[in-house]
Amino acid sequence: MLLDIQNLTKRFGGLTAVSNVSFGVERGEIVGIFGPNGSGKTTTLSLIAGILKPTSGAIVWKDRDISTLTPFEVAQQGLVKTFQNPQLFPELTVAQHMRIACHLHVKRALGIGRLRTLFSGMPAELDRTLEHKIGQMLELCRLSSQRNDEAGALSYGGEKMLGVAMGMVCDPELLLLDEPASGLGHDEITNLDAVLRDLKSHGVTLCIIDHKVGFLGRLADRSIALHHGAVIATGKTEDVLANEAVVAAYLGKKHA
Amino acid sequence: MKYAIAVGLLLALVAPAVVHSDSILAIAIYGFMAASLAVSFNLIFGFTGQLSMFHAASFGVSAYVVTILVTTFKWNFWLAIIPALVVVMILSLIVGTICFRFKLKEFYFAVVTMAFSEVLRLITLNWNSVTNGSLGITVVDKPSIWTPSGSFAISSGVSWYYLTLALLVIVYIICHRILASWIGRCLAAIRLNDQLGETLGIDVFKYKLLSFAIGSVLAGLVGAFYGFYSGFVEPHYFSIPLGLDIIAMVLLGGVNSLIGPVIGALVLTALPHVIELSAELRIALYGSILIFVILVMPKGIVGLLTSRKHAA
Repeated sequence: MLLDIQNLTKRFGGLTAVSNVSFGVERGEIVGIFGPNGSGKTTTLSLIAGILKPTSGAIVWKDRDISTLTPFEVAQQGLVKTFQNPQLFPELTVAQHMRIACHLHVKRALGIGRLRTLFSGMPAELDRTLEHKIGQMLELCRLSSQRNDEAGALSYGGEKMLGVAMGMVCDPELLLLDEPASGLGHDEITNLDAVLRDLKSHGVTLCIIDHKVGFLGRLADRSIALHHGAVIATGKTEDVLANEAVVAAYLGKKHA
Repeated sequence: MKYAIAVGLLLALVAPAVVHSDSILAIAIYGFMAASLAVSFNLIFGFTGQLSMFHAASFGVSAYVVTILVTTFKWNFWLAIIPALVVVMILSLIVGTICFRFKLKEFYFAVVTMAFSEVLRLITLNWNSVTNGSLGITVVDKPSIWTPSGSFAISSGVSWYYLTLALLVIVYIICHRILASWIGRCLAAIRLNDQLGETLGIDVFKYKLLSFAIGSVLAGLVGAFYGFYSGFVEPHYFSIPLGLDIIAMVLLGGVNSLIGPVIGALVLTALPHVIELSAELRIALYGSILIFVILVMPKGIVGLLTSRKHAA
């Protein structure tokens, strides 16, 4: 198993945001995490990404507990998270964002040899590889035409796609997407759906949270439903969505 | 801009052949040292987004260490620079580690670094047996360099002019290489959105500390020379007004550029001599310039020049 979440709990004072959550992610699959607002989805993802520290429980990544690592160490391990509200570097262009996101790639390629680039500049071959990769990723995320635009000038959907593109260019083994579809229009969601399927076909494992059942319902191989911080259903996506407890959590008991 | 810098450097190189006034040379020498300080400060402030008030302290500590080693322990000047820079590096790593581990930002970082700076100033002021307290230390030695025809003391205005110009070029090139490399991209990420940078795998703590330490050591390098040119070191080197002068130079010249602080430093060093003013009025002038720049041209002189060019 690539990622194994074991009895994860997070308390903020008296509030238990995530309660005893356990699930696993296998290599190459798309796992969806559903739940209405306030069900602990984002907290769970932030715990995995190292942004928050769990109160108890373990986050096992390739047989190693990573729950004490900092966010950049988690990213170096191959788990990269995108943000629900698009996070940008103001003033910089789309291409410059991508160049910064290539940090891990350059680090892996050159290691301590990066010190040499202080004198001689980036090796031309690596530079070409990065440019090619950035071009490919922007193409995939439909951002090629805005490559040299300031990222702040992108539409909301464009900013979200840039987040996905930056996450992808880190070469993650597992990409954690925090509500990638929220705030997007119909066409943008169709586009996102295509992009994520494309990523899957390239062998990337995805863990996506959303409260939009329709979008994620079509995409996820397997799903986990959260309510009040606890897992209420897990299994094949269509079974989870048909689960009485899940329907009750979303629509109230009358509809279950 | 590249051509403008090259032309400026060329003019600076030939200037002493044309200008024979000692006072103008002295202004240029102080200007070059101030510019080196401002460029190294801008690595921490303008490019990493950390408002360090420790810069004057790094400058002062190094000036004192070199002076004490040379005057009291009779070390060679060039050799004494090494321990001075090591001391500055250790101090900046300690201060930086404390501040960045506790994730101090903006004003909190400025206030804490200012407090460390004050501690060092008070130690210098009160450690009479070593630092000679408020009187400071008079420096009579001059650094010398070895030439095939024998040892050559750097004492004339022209030799100091070229030495400090070389210092500025070295500091500038070091900062330029750093900013053009992957480190520069990490620093930009930290300045603009450190949380996003961290999720992209950037060790924010390490790169903040690196920028702070390199900037501080470069300030130390300037400090090493300063006392030997001016002829004395005194606790005033650590003072908050010196720290504020550096900020004024950077803001006037342009925060987001490497050459901006050079222009700002040269202008602010020359200005009081062009318009002869008393010390009190000089401080008032500095203050007014800061307010004016922040209100009217937030990107400084360089920002103004480049935007004109784009408009044209």
